[in-house]
Amino acid sequence: MCKRLVQMMQGNIWISLNPLGSAQSMTLVLRFQNRPSYGRATFAPGSSSEQPSSNPQFRGLRVILADDDALNRAVTKKLLEKLGCEVTAVSSGFECLSALSSAENSVRLVVLDIQMPEMDGFEVATRIRKVRSRSWPLIIAVTASAEDNVWERCLQMGMNGMIRKPVLLQGMADELQRVLPRKSFEGRHSAS
Amino acid sequence: MDSVVLLQRQLVDYTAQLFNEGFLDDQFNQLQQLQDESNPDFVVEVVTLFFEDSERLLNELAKALEQQSIDYRKIDAHVHQLKGSSSSIGAQRVQKVCIAFRNYCEERNIEGCQKCLQQVKNEYSLVKTKLETLFKLEQQVLSAGGSIPWPM
Repeated sequence: MCKRLVQMMQGNIWISLNPLGSAQSMTLVLRFQNRPSYGRATFAPGSSSEQPSSNPQFRGLRVILADDDALNRAVTKKLLEKLGCEVTAVSSGFECLSALSSAENSVRLVVLDIQMPEMDGFEVATRIRKVRSRSWPLIIAVTASAEDNVWERCLQMGMNGMIRKPVLLQGMADELQRVLPRKSFEGRHSAS
Repeated sequence: MDSVVLLQRQLVDYTAQLFNEGFLDDQFNQLQQLQDESNPDFVVEVVTLFFEDSERLLNELAKALEQQSIDYRKIDAHVHQLKGSSSSIGAQRVQKVCIAFRNYCEERNIEGCQKCLQQVKNEYSLVKTKLETLFKLEQQVLSAGGSIPWPM
């Protein structure tokens, strides 16, 4: 059965036998299609002639943004709105969870500051994943940390993406592009 | 020469100076890019938030360093916040002092912390003055009927 599945994915799978004839190792080869690269306008520092604003793919994307710092919240909110998103900004993990439950399935993405007092981003993500599938809503973590294992931790907690502070317009656009499925995100999606 | 052009030139030169001297970094450009017709005062609003935040934090830091028994975790938390907000608006020199400040906190070095507090107060005061001047120059250009030539 594995072989059927893998071949449907246009890959291959085989078992290598040792000299005695029993299975020694299994090899799996899968081919992945390169996603078309985001049409990157020349974005030299300071140049604003072409901005990734109002990218049609992000237009109308419903987002909850959670960050306890008023300044960062204001900047990130504006940044997401510049990318076409509809943003609900909250200042704590608790507010985030309650906003999410009252929005039912209409929120596609949660952007979460990791370092929040009381309930940090990891805990919020864990709680979300307890009741929601891994792909709806998507969760992107925002962190000031430069540590290597932050990304692993994010993945373990059920997050889909990560972006480092300070948050830049292009950085956010790139990460959104990366985590959103290529097809349109619109429409309701039943939690699986 | 047209007065608008003169004022614009003044604004451009002043802005370049701030970047060259490291008071502002590219994050400030980011903020300018986020400003648009739907939110024409975005940068001023965010910078004002920064001023309010910073002044509160600097007061808290001064108090915390005067205590008999120093709570380094609290100090670190405040400096972390200040570092975050200064980074968000591009106040590079303030941010840099915060990095050093946090290191002294970790070492529980009271003298280092006090020195950094002085330094960060100075840098904050400088960048505040410069930003206020920048906004005044922008206002002058706008009042004279010109537009802000961003990016500069």
